[in-house]
Amino acid sequence: MKRTFDTGNAAITEGALWAGCRLFAGYPITPATEIAENMSRRLPQEGGFYLQAEDENAALHICNGGSLGGLKAMTATSGPGFILFADPFGWAVSSEIPVVIVNSQRVGPVSGITGAPGQGEFYLSRYLTHGGNYETIVLAPNSVQDAFRLTVRAFYLAERFRTPVIVLADQMVTDGWETLQTPESEAEAREMGLERVERRVNPGPVFYPASSDIDIPPVVLGHNTGAAASDWTPTDRGHDTEDVTWQHKHAWRLIHKILDHRDLIDEAQTWSVDDDPEVILVAYGTPSRVVQSAVEAGRAQGLKVGGIRPVSLWPFQDALFSRKAIYLTVELNWDGQLVREVRRAAAAGSEVHFWGRCGELPSVAELLDTVRQLQAGVALTRDAWRTEKW
Amino acid sequence: MSDDLLEKYVRPEKNPGTACKGCGLRLAHRRVLEAIDQLGLGQGDVVWGTGIGCSGRQTFVTWKGDTFAGTHGRVYALATGVRLALPPEKRLILTVGDGDAFTIGLHHLLHAARRNVDMTVVVFDNLGYQSTGGQYGVTTPVGSRTDSSPYGAWEPNWTEGGHDVLRLVREAGATFVARHTVLQGEAAVTSLKRAIENRGFSLVQLVYPCVTHFGVQALGTRDLGRIYDWFRDQTAEGVAAGGDKRFATGVVHDGVGKRPEFTEALRGFVARVQNGEVQHG
Repeated sequence: MKRTFDTGNAAITEGALWAGCRLFAGYPITPATEIAENMSRRLPQEGGFYLQAEDENAALHICNGGSLGGLKAMTATSGPGFILFADPFGWAVSSEIPVVIVNSQRVGPVSGITGAPGQGEFYLSRYLTHGGNYETIVLAPNSVQDAFRLTVRAFYLAERFRTPVIVLADQMVTDGWETLQTPESEAEAREMGLERVERRVNPGPVFYPASSDIDIPPVVLGHNTGAAASDWTPTDRGHDTEDVTWQHKHAWRLIHKILDHRDLIDEAQTWSVDDDPEVILVAYGTPSRVVQSAVEAGRAQGLKVGGIRPVSLWPFQDALFSRKAIYLTVELNWDGQLVREVRRAAAAGSEVHFWGRCGELPSVAELLDTVRQLQAGVALTRDAWRTEKW
Repeated sequence: MSDDLLEKYVRPEKNPGTACKGCGLRLAHRRVLEAIDQLGLGQGDVVWGTGIGCSGRQTFVTWKGDTFAGTHGRVYALATGVRLALPPEKRLILTVGDGDAFTIGLHHLLHAARRNVDMTVVVFDNLGYQSTGGQYGVTTPVGSRTDSSPYGAWEPNWTEGGHDVLRLVREAGATFVARHTVLQGEAAVTSLKRAIENRGFSLVQLVYPCVTHFGVQALGTRDLGRIYDWFRDQTAEGVAAGGDKRFATGVVHDGVGKRPEFTEALRGFVARVQNGEVQHG
């Protein structure tokens, strides 16, 4: 096992390379620039291609094209670039082409604040393109090591599900320095639970079967199989059609190939949720690190507090919130995004509250004060996602 | 289209295609197949990509071999990735429209030309946005009445008043650039062959008549003979030709072999890094 002290950016780079990524196209943007920089140095060493695209839209299109030709590909960006993916992300979803997208979230709206962590793209990552009629796989790392692991996982899922997979990180995860362990052999990789799937080629003539099966090889050009890939509604051969019966089959496949295999996607971490918690803190990404500390500190002080960290964000894991409790989401935004999904998913009779801030993390003490308030039935100054004045 | 070319290259279920009766698009499509045929290429030698609009809809999944369609204007970026992954000997041909190439996709087109990525972009130019019902575009002759220029199109376009978008493409780095009308069969096919053979970025603009919208709205007729007469009348041989002709035709630039092809250069660079011939800073 190789142990280094490195950033989340480096971890994502090494994870992608271990997973077999051989094409990265990107556009410099804070705080994801270092992923591009690392890739520009590392990819040629591994026989891969690094391209600086003319914009993020082109970057993901180049990745899509590479993947359509058989290369595993990845791009990385932050909010202002992420929104430009709407077009090629939709193309990859609809054409069912594997690709990995990293978003290091910063503070919004729009250009916002570049050098601080944010969590403003929770919903955008679910609906990064127009038109609906699809499901999305989104994974959220909360440490350098986790960024490595989930990047590997993203490539694995992208190949098996023939779809883009988003790694939704934040500035603290990607810029932060921590210990990083990477495998130096296949045995070590197995020990670490890492898996990868080699690219296979769909031989046709049926490229888009009316089936929710996974592990169907994606469409790959260049093998003279009559491969057809496009964002049009496809027949099973990939021919464009205006027939709503085919569109229904297409949408059903895009939705159910993911929903029918959630055992491969769903992942969460929990703390003290089976020990009769009254208040359960909920967070993903970097804030989940504070939540973990707060639960441990709170329990040490005798507080009945628990914690939930969804690791896979989409499809949303409703089952995590089946316990009747007082939930408090902890988010890096003022407008409350995760809280809305938890409100929808939480067991009847639950209360769901929101703690949010931009630019810096909560402290353990702040969270535990809020837990005490909630236990005592004291109304929070913040009413859901209506943010208080400064 | 003659049966032999169709049988050889076009999927039977996609014939006759989506073009309107009398549309010049079928002829334009045929010119590309003729060039492929004359080069002796088979279905496994070519990967065919398409854009959006009349040209995309007419040509998508017509090719018996491998084929793909891009989002509107971005197929040049998509094709850059495809090119990187494909064996270099595969010919990559994109059939797109004037809106796709010269408006929504010009940014990406110019960057593909800058890199000299090995692909042949064939712009089927029907002088505006015809698949949406006939609105003016950047190659619509100034003065033309369309559904979005009921008083006559007055915006400067890319092809008149001393402008020529093909010079922009040449300056960006394309290594073969030509313009013809579909009526100039032999010259068009000769240019297409040169373009397809070029191991670099080629663009051939093929201007063709739209009878349904441009014919009716701008020329006041659906009569193919009268529309073709107008085309012949507006065509000048030679790209330097000026005067009152709308379409200055011919080879704008032939720099075949004069610049390194991008993906070949990138492969060479990667090999040098792997061999330790270049070090990072």
